[in-house]
Amino acid sequence: MLIQLLTNKYPGMRLWLSQRLSAVIMAIYIVLLVVLLLVKQPAGFKDWHTFVSLIWFRFITFLFFISLFIHAWLGVSDVFKDYIFNKKLRAYLQIVVDILLVVYLLWVSIILWNI
Amino acid sequence: MQKRQQKSRPKNLNLFTIRLPINAVVSILHRASGMVLFVMLPFILLAFQHLINSQETYSSLVQLLDHWFFKLVLIGMAWAFCHHFFAGIRHLLQDVHWMTTLQKARFSGRVVLWMVGVSVAIFTWVIW
Repeated sequence: MLIQLLTNKYPGMRLWLSQRLSAVIMAIYIVLLVVLLLVKQPAGFKDWHTFVSLIWFRFITFLFFISLFIHAWLGVSDVFKDYIFNKKLRAYLQIVVDILLVVYLLWVSIILWNI
Repeated sequence: MQKRQQKSRPKNLNLFTIRLPINAVVSILHRASGMVLFVMLPFILLAFQHLINSQETYSSLVQLLDHWFFKLVLIGMAWAFCHHFFAGIRHLLQDVHWMTTLQKARFSGRVVLWMVGVSVAIFTWVIW
């Protein structure tokens, strides 16, 4: 029923919901990160390295960045739709943003993989 | 008939005389801070990479961020982040119909602006 509601009845709801879900995931991650940083208080390169090299931390960080890129994609699209009235220009800018976000995703994957 | 009616409606788009209500201020800053964060994304990723790559990159990052100019940039980014975070939580709560009357929304808007101010002040105090 939910699928029906989100696809046929209100197609825009899917984007709306994605933006909210990704926001909730990021908010939880941020709170967790702040608590962890306050508890561990990493100082110096070694501390930071051990802090981020934990496998579960890398996993949730990856989840965070995926949410962030979805969230940013939706947010920037909305801003473009509101302020850029030339449809051709808007489409080109959107492609630039899409490519940037894919590159960022690859970049984050490489960073987290190579720790 | 309808066209004439639309034409005679009063219009005020003078940016110097429009005073935005607090809800509009929190909302437009949410959007602006979101764009700031999007533009800063590559620099955030670059900093993250330097932080954990090696001892040398870590030291160069720490040295760079010690400069007053980059501290100001960091404070600006902290503002954008805090505003987007707190105003975003406010929007999420409004989505589930919490504090949606005009009075309560004005109150929560003020709470958001205060929390942003206090967080940025703490951040500035910690890094300086």
